[in-house]
Amino acid sequence: MESKLKVQNLVISFKTASGKLQAVRNISFDLYKGETLAIVGESGSGKSVTSRAIMGILANNAIVDEGKILYGDKDLLKISEEEFHKIRGDKIAMVFQDPLSSLNPIMKVGKQLTEAMLLKNKAARRENRADMNRMFKALETYMEAVGEQGAIKADLSRFRKFEIKHCELESRYQSSLAYAQELLALSENLSLRIKKNSENNIIPDMKEAVRAAKEACSRFVINEKAADAAKLSDELINAYKEGKQSGDRKRTPELLSELGRIADEALKKPVPDTFSIGYYLTYVQNSIPDDMDVTELNAKAGEKMKADFLDGFLGRIEKAVRYSAQQTNQARSEALKLFQKMLPEFEGKLEKSTAAKNADELKKAVAAGIDKLEVELDSVMHTFATSIDYALEHYFSAVPRNEAEKKRFESETAKYERLKAKGKQPEWEVVPASYVDVDAAQAGITDIMKEMMSHLQYKIKQNEDADFAARTAEIVDYLKKCAADSVYRISRSAAKERAVKLMESVGIDEPRKRFDQYPFEFSGGMRQRIVIAIALTADPDVLICDEPTTALDVTIQAQILELINNLKKERDLSVIFITHDLGVVANMADRVAVMYAGKIVEHGTVEDIFYEPAHPYTWALLSSVPDLDTKDKLESIPGTPPNMIYPPVGDAFADRNKYALAIDFERQPPMFRITDSHYAATWLLHPNAPKTEPPEIIKQRIEKMRKKRNGENNGQEEQ
Amino acid sequence: MVRIMDKKNNNSDEVILKVEDLCMFFGKRNYVKKAVNNVSFDIRKGEVFGLVGESGCGKTTTGRTIIRLYDATSGNVYFKGQRIVAGTGSYKNELRNIKKEKKKLNAEKPADYENELKKLDERTELLKKEIKSAVHDHKAANSSKLAKNIQMIYQDPVASLDPRMTVREIISEGLVIQGVKDKKLIQEKVYEILETVGLVREHADRYPHEFSGGQRQRIGIARSIIMQPEMIIADEPISALDVSIRAQVINLLNDLRNSMGLTVLFIAHDLSVVKYFSDRIGVMYFGNMVELATSDELFAHPLHPYTRSLLSAIPLPDPNAEKGRVRMHYDPLADHEYSEEEPEFREVGEGHFVRCTQKEFEQYKKDLESPAK
Repeated sequence: MESKLKVQNLVISFKTASGKLQAVRNISFDLYKGETLAIVGESGSGKSVTSRAIMGILANNAIVDEGKILYGDKDLLKISEEEFHKIRGDKIAMVFQDPLSSLNPIMKVGKQLTEAMLLKNKAARRENRADMNRMFKALETYMEAVGEQGAIKADLSRFRKFEIKHCELESRYQSSLAYAQELLALSENLSLRIKKNSENNIIPDMKEAVRAAKEACSRFVINEKAADAAKLSDELINAYKEGKQSGDRKRTPELLSELGRIADEALKKPVPDTFSIGYYLTYVQNSIPDDMDVTELNAKAGEKMKADFLDGFLGRIEKAVRYSAQQTNQARSEALKLFQKMLPEFEGKLEKSTAAKNADELKKAVAAGIDKLEVELDSVMHTFATSIDYALEHYFSAVPRNEAEKKRFESETAKYERLKAKGKQPEWEVVPASYVDVDAAQAGITDIMKEMMSHLQYKIKQNEDADFAARTAEIVDYLKKCAADSVYRISRSAAKERAVKLMESVGIDEPRKRFDQYPFEFSGGMRQRIVIAIALTADPDVLICDEPTTALDVTIQAQILELINNLKKERDLSVIFITHDLGVVANMADRVAVMYAGKIVEHGTVEDIFYEPAHPYTWALLSSVPDLDTKDKLESIPGTPPNMIYPPVGDAFADRNKYALAIDFERQPPMFRITDSHYAATWLLHPNAPKTEPPEIIKQRIEKMRKKRNGENNGQEEQ
Repeated sequence: MVRIMDKKNNNSDEVILKVEDLCMFFGKRNYVKKAVNNVSFDIRKGEVFGLVGESGCGKTTTGRTIIRLYDATSGNVYFKGQRIVAGTGSYKNELRNIKKEKKKLNAEKPADYENELKKLDERTELLKKEIKSAVHDHKAANSSKLAKNIQMIYQDPVASLDPRMTVREIISEGLVIQGVKDKKLIQEKVYEILETVGLVREHADRYPHEFSGGQRQRIGIARSIIMQPEMIIADEPISALDVSIRAQVINLLNDLRNSMGLTVLFIAHDLSVVKYFSDRIGVMYFGNMVELATSDELFAHPLHPYTRSLLSAIPLPDPNAEKGRVRMHYDPLADHEYSEEEPEFREVGEGHFVRCTQKEFEQYKKDLESPAK
């Protein structure tokens, strides 16, 4: 399976007045594409801190001591804030725990929903235009070197001109299509409501249908029947009102079903090739005959464009791509040689000024090896400069900081001992010394270099056996997309329409009325739905849900879980689901990680965790939740989690664990492998440990679940 | 003061709280929100009565109306036979309307307007009498200190404790208001209660922010039981707590109930906890009570489609059951035919009430006798 997000050896601590609080202690996990990973644990176990680290929104006093969070090939802990802007919210979105504090109380919810859309749209227009111009410029410079500058300039200006037409056509087509879909849905819904005699608030929805019918009329959607649709929809509201007065109510459903049929017909039409048609309209003929079939038009326009423009354009781009590949490969091999020369110097004793000079040389060499015609920006090469700067800074600041820390620790300990010797019991404790591992910091620098070297080798190889035709097509597609996005403007009303749709899809009644209300007018469940809708506005890749349903009641919880599950399937989302409700975990998760005191104590598939739990903490969690048949006293976990400023030497759960062994208080257990997918960190799994059974209540429950499952299977077989 | 007639110990047939056609409407004439609409139920001594439903269905409003945090629109609540809530809102509204009508009649003077006026006057007299008796009952309830016998535990342990008061002040506030002046007695009682709820004496002089969520909820519980109430209204006492602490608080409530003989109105939305904790359960939907039965009966034979959809939505800690779970959707439009007959609250089986029409009533009865599948 493709891994979407990788967390490796993450260590996070917080600087507080009373010492360094270790919130996350060396955790690693992978998130695969299209799966849900549930992180379970009590509050304070570091679940939320992990998710915040992924979003890059840790509090100011947080220190990331170690580790990596890889999204694609970007390390989210190292990339710059500008780059993070493109990821946060767009690619990785988050639903927060407390809907009350994650909404702005003095802004109407509608505005909060559309705000991100409008801002992102504005930024996207600017960015796409910049991207397009960058690509144009790169093409021009490379073609200049080959000697065909004039031809490509003519091509590009042509492309710019007809692309505008293409975008116009496409957006008109898409919006009409959406309205036709809405018309179909509304006509069915309204008919049902009239049939069922439930006509509260029906007039606004009818007006909506009338509007949809009018907006859906365009060249490629409702074309021939446009006059019919207009006539029918004009009649609709009057017919309804008259019917209500006179009692003869047949006319309205008739009108609605007729409108529905027209919409349905329009939706089945073939898709127009707006790119070619745009070219055709700009350069061949500035209007198209009304009765021409769409497939015919597609073929005709496509042919014309290919002969006139596209073939030459593609040929020229391919030349440029070949040239640039050759150039960059040369630069890359030179960079590789430089790296090999420099590596021993960075492995030896480091001196600040020479190290900085050498690093500058490396940065220059890497920058020369960047191919400007690449569609997908190579983040490893682009972020090399920032990451090596960061690593050097980390190393050179660690040396004096360690000195100061040592001094402080020694003086404080001496003072403490002096007081103790006088027979006093001081009220304060000595804050433990926190040193930065200098060797690890240096290894971090060389690691970055080694990674770059292997990456360069891979890139050189990739360029040698590249498919240039495919790359050319990729560039043209990219230019098309940039051009479309650079003129695509979401108007305020369109954003409102989209927001209303989103509100409807997360289950908010009367979204139009709710759109203009303030957050305090919503109940907790409704507020949480708004928060989820906001997270979904940008179509993210990875969704982090931090206890999204904790404040909601069962029915709404079930709805929201279903909503998230559906979205996950539709968009192939990867979800990190943080919760402490085990029922929800059983419903949502594909895999589960149980966290306690900043560590993952057990992880495996859902079946592993629920049917064969191995860690005493998982047992305790499972047995403290009543299910529908529980009658006995619940087994609560005694005590509270440990203070992580002074983390316990041994297993952190040992104090609250009635199965704790002597070794639990002395040494931390490693991860024991149970099956290939199931791991747990408890000494009970050591071959020399005494055999321990999970508590009775869990055994009974598992037995019951087994029986139920077998019963179901048998039943199916019989059928 | 009314004397309570009999004291059948441990016999749970004695009704301690009786809610009769309680209505609580919010808003003005053109926009009325019926938060609680004609809700009736009894709570017997020593039992735990669970009230479930989705957010916004009126569970909390019911609880708050019972302790008169709101002025009920109509309906009565009797606590140990004495009326503690008498709704007067609807009477007042009617009076206002009558006044207007009178004005209109006087101005227009139609044929037998004198007769009409007389009728209206009679009605006015009656309404005024009702209001008077309600006010009288409210006063009597206040002076008899019955109020202290019902206490409330609030949902949010952070917001419901005053951050500027020490735990001692918070817990003893009720006693002080009731006129206890002996500081030594207060101190002893506070210590005793702290130990009952699983805290220690040293906690008395701390402030709420120094405690974890579970401990804060314990303080809330301590505050409500120091008055030795007979009944507690627990409004989602565990929904803001962590899993491991939830079990602690439920166990505490269970212990208190056994040792003090408490009656509890338990408002919650976590159905597995309600099932575990309650004897009888009432299900509310949009201000109406739609089904009421003992908890085992309700979970074994849910009749109302809303109850069924609610039960089908409970997440269980069993991945296989969860993957195959089919959630039932409740759509009042599709599931009921209320255009001809208004539904009523009827007893289908023994102690099993459902809000339904006559036709549905027969159907449910059949379902109950021969449980399908």
